[in-house]
Amino acid sequence: MKFSLKLLLWSIIVMAISLGFSGFYFVNYVFETSLEREVGQALDENSILRFAFETAALNVPAKYDVLQNGSIEQIALNLESGGQNTGRMLRISDEERNVLYASDGFETDEELLGQTDELTKTYRIIRQNEQYYIQTGSTVKALDRVLYLETLRNVSEVFNERALGFTVYRRVTILMLILGTVIMYLIASLLTKPIRLLTKATKQMAAGDYQYRAQKVSSDELGQLTQDFNQMAEALEENVGKLEDEIQAREDFMGAFAHELKTPLTSIIGYADLLRSRKLDEEKSFLSANYIYTEGKRLEAMSIRLLDIMVARHAAPQFQTVPVENLFLYLQNMFRNNEEMNFTYSYEPYTVLVETDLIITVLINLLDNACKASEPGSNIEVTGRKEEEGYRFMVRDYGVGIAPEEVKKITKAFYMVDKSRSRSRNGAGLGLALCAEILSLHESRLEIDSRPGEGTTMSFLIRDGRREDEHEEISS
Amino acid sequence: MIKILIVDDEKPICDLIDLNLSASGYHCTAVQDGLEAIEMIEKEKYDLILLDIMLPGADGYDIMEYIRPLKIPVIFITAKREVKDRVKGLKLGADDYLIKPFDVVELVARVEAVLRRYHKAQRIITVGDVVVDVEARQVTRAGKPVVLTNKEFGLLVLFITNKNVALFRESLYEKVWEEEYYGDSRTLDLHVQRLRRKLGWEHNLVAVYKVGYRLEVPQ
Repeated sequence: MKFSLKLLLWSIIVMAISLGFSGFYFVNYVFETSLEREVGQALDENSILRFAFETAALNVPAKYDVLQNGSIEQIALNLESGGQNTGRMLRISDEERNVLYASDGFETDEELLGQTDELTKTYRIIRQNEQYYIQTGSTVKALDRVLYLETLRNVSEVFNERALGFTVYRRVTILMLILGTVIMYLIASLLTKPIRLLTKATKQMAAGDYQYRAQKVSSDELGQLTQDFNQMAEALEENVGKLEDEIQAREDFMGAFAHELKTPLTSIIGYADLLRSRKLDEEKSFLSANYIYTEGKRLEAMSIRLLDIMVARHAAPQFQTVPVENLFLYLQNMFRNNEEMNFTYSYEPYTVLVETDLIITVLINLLDNACKASEPGSNIEVTGRKEEEGYRFMVRDYGVGIAPEEVKKITKAFYMVDKSRSRSRNGAGLGLALCAEILSLHESRLEIDSRPGEGTTMSFLIRDGRREDEHEEISS
Repeated sequence: MIKILIVDDEKPICDLIDLNLSASGYHCTAVQDGLEAIEMIEKEKYDLILLDIMLPGADGYDIMEYIRPLKIPVIFITAKREVKDRVKGLKLGADDYLIKPFDVVELVARVEAVLRRYHKAQRIITVGDVVVDVEARQVTRAGKPVVLTNKEFGLLVLFITNKNVALFRESLYEKVWEEEYYGDSRTLDLHVQRLRRKLGWEHNLVAVYKVGYRLEVPQ
């Protein structure tokens, strides 16, 4: 059963019970009070009548010592008519409880008289001909006679009022219940709205929509829950996103790897197959063998690079403090034989904390890329500069440049901006991916600033702050 | 002569396909760029296009869209092994799929099969006094019909479409029996033996030491 329905049902039950009970109690209370008042009045009337009777009896001419039945009848008649249309009803009985006088309609039994004696007035409530009466009884002493005086007072009004009260109250109760149900329904759905929204959000997320957030509609505990849920969802989305990115990156890598692996393999297998199954002339044999050789070399280069990346990713680097001069001299030496390009080196002296071999690998890769991107004879500037946060290495070329949409992808493994150009220079598309790995070991990253047609500047910053941390770690 | 266009961004692979198909008697042209390929297709009418998917300029799927209305048969050549890539290619209207790396025999066989489907392949191949109707699966020797079993016929087609090519036991076995070859089966030798006897090819169908068999035909 839905929570809002439960809430609604319970509040209706509670409301019905409390309304019913209080209504019953209230109407009954009014009734009891009225009845009590009526009883009092009935008893008063009885007393008045008794007194009137006794007075009247005294006034009877004292012809006899004992009050005659006829006189009693006469007095009673007078008393009844003295009621002046108030519906006064009385009955007078003698000592043996024989009725001497009774008003019209006074038909009740004589049970009450059994309990009445000289000292006690009695009353009871009786029902007679669909009417309710208070019957009172008392003894009257007049001229040596002890008579019983009974009166009847019609109190149907009080009972009718009670019945009416119940009817009205029942209507009010039903009306209140209907109204209450509607209001409680609205309140229940308002209160449970956060739950519904949360449920919806949970379902959406279960269905894979991790971006969905539950709307916060209240500031109570449920609102807090919603907020916490959304925080959880955020964390979940982030993790799922990270996982998906990782999987995507892995898939991309595997796809690119498979492609890059298969291309030289196809050539090697194909040409080897050709050589072993066909009788080829010398020229074709040489061509085939040469292809097998060059494609094999390509595979070799690729596997070495991949191994480098793997090593860079998993090896614990051995950082050393090195003067930057050493690095630049090494580079100058390395590219001395390259006479195609015009290299300019300029650097401010400084020392950096790096894994020397790895940083040299990065620099060589950047220089290689610069050469690949440039026409023979163009300038390539290699700069080292002290900055506020550390030391910046920069390689600038005036070559083809990289389109803005390519810049992001350029450090991905196997990505080549110009495949045929890069292939012809034995590139595997792994150089910058390797650089990115090495730089992340140095808590740095490759910054690329490039304009198509104008050239590219690739730089990275080796931070100073790192060195103290590292030293502390080493000393501790 | 049947003209085939080879589109692959790798020169070595273009040359490889070219060498193989030329030896089987096809005229091949190769391009390494997608846009260039479209230009070539516009200029000349080809009987078959071998198409790589990852290409500079325009990729294989784009070119496929362009080729489709021209009703030229296409075989995709790709390193992508995933089923969804293959399905995409076939849905675009490619006739077959060749996954890198591929065997020479497989390349020739697939090209033959696609051409045959378009009735462009040589239907009747003659070797000496043996005439083979590849589609009707009928063989005659000096005008007299020769009865061959299914496997024998399969072997015969492989030999006559790869004249003067040393065919390896494993590729023969795998092509005809469509099972993995474990190197210990004499079945293949028995079938070749029977084929030699039925066609009188005792001297043409030679065993190549440690390799398999070759159908030698004077060129």
